[in-house]
Amino acid sequence: MSQTHCLSPVELITEQINDLPLLPNVVHHLLMLMGKENRSVQEVVNLVETDVILTSKVLKVANSAAFSRGQVITSLHRAIVHLGEKMVVGIALGSCSPRIFSQPLEGYESAVGELWDHSLRTAIATREIIRYILHPVSADLAFTAGLLHDVGKAVLSEFLKGNGEYMASCCDSGEVENFLTIERRLSGTDHAEVGCAIARHWNLPEPLCSVIRDHHHPALAPQMDRELVYAVHVADLAAMLGGTGTGIDTLAYKLDSSFDQHLKLEQKELDQLLLAVEEEYGSKKASIFACIEE
Amino acid sequence: MTTVYVGVGELAATNNPNEVIKTMALGSCVGVIVVSPLQKIAGLLHIALPESSINQKLSKLRPGMFADTGIPRLLEAIKQKGYDGKNRLIVKLAGGASIMDPNNTFNIGKRNVLAARKILWAYRLGAMAEDVGLSFSRTVSVDPVSGKVLISSPGRGEWEL
Ligand SMILES: [Fe+2]
Ligand SMILES: [Fe+2]
Repeated sequence: MSQTHCLSPVELITEQINDLPLLPNVVHHLLMLMGKENRSVQEVVNLVETDVILTSKVLKVANSAAFSRGQVITSLHRAIVHLGEKMVVGIALGSCSPRIFSQPLEGYESAVGELWDHSLRTAIATREIIRYILHPVSADLAFTAGLLHDVGKAVLSEFLKGNGEYMASCCDSGEVENFLTIERRLSGTDHAEVGCAIARHWNLPEPLCSVIRDHHHPALAPQMDRELVYAVHVADLAAMLGGTGTGIDTLAYKLDSSFDQHLKLEQKELDQLLLAVEEEYGSKKASIFACIEE
Repeated sequence: MTTVYVGVGELAATNNPNEVIKTMALGSCVGVIVVSPLQKIAGLLHIALPESSINQKLSKLRPGMFADTGIPRLLEAIKQKGYDGKNRLIVKLAGGASIMDPNNTFNIGKRNVLAARKILWAYRLGAMAEDVGLSFSRTVSVDPVSGKVLISSPGRGEWEL
């Protein structure tokens, strides 16, 4: 007699993560490079050069209206210096990560493109926020961390499907700590934990794993990554306050009250931050999008 | 029917019976909606912050960003569409949400609502209905003919304000 073993949601999720295609080599190497303290622009150039499609996309964005300021840029080196390394990572992740940014998050009732929007806005906010951080963090790493923090939603989404009304009512009645509680009720895990498993599957550098795992409870992050995790934690909330979330879970999170031990952000700075992010996001979104949608 | 989309810091007004005005995903931002039911004119403004004093330069370029510079522009915009200033004007507010923050540190949504009310009062206008606060995002539209204001949010469907 054949026996069918019924997999639990957590087992199914683990299986799906293991089946996720690995990151393309060039993207993986770029992410590793962002985690490195001492790197030169030339290293980034050498890496991007190995990928024809990525090279052409980087040049295209560098020459787009939002970035070029009227100059024509033909050399890859100049394009990368002009855009900044973080933008190169953004272009690489947005256009090459399989099945992450290119699908809707049905379980969250979030349309295609919204996870990318939210990630990009969080990345921009993280880069702004590290100005207020008490211990310095690399701007490129900060941007990359913002881009990847919610990667787990892409896999978890399917396991939340069909529960929209229930999830919304849990949020609105105030009976849950935050949205992660609801995710755990329905699937046995949450998008932070799933994201961390994806990061491990992709062999991402440790600080990125910490951000993905702990961005909703930054006090639990390992000491050496804590500043970065706090920056992403606040940036994520700032992105959602700005109206750029991923559907049902938008705004259904708490601020860690000890954030002021890591960030010097008073109300005025926060307002200025929201404004700066809105300006930057509004002006850059379109051209980065264009290169990804092709 | 055409939809006129209003982005962050923008506003629109219409007297065209074939148009509705819509703004997407208000988080802590506030949507100010005005309707003249008699003249069938509607306007919508999407503000992001309470006061323009935080960035005077930007308030010249995008007055709709701030409650104090945006609301006067909204009232001008409906006048340009024919509002005579005498008929009853219905005002509604939506948005101003916050995160689940018991300490109210990031209370920008609440401050936006308070600022909008204050500026409206200066024009002797008060909101007839509000759907503000809590922790979810709202998409809002207004139809100049029926005067109907519709709000929707992921997982929560659509309802009339
Ligand atoms: Fe998250
Ligand atoms: Fe997020």
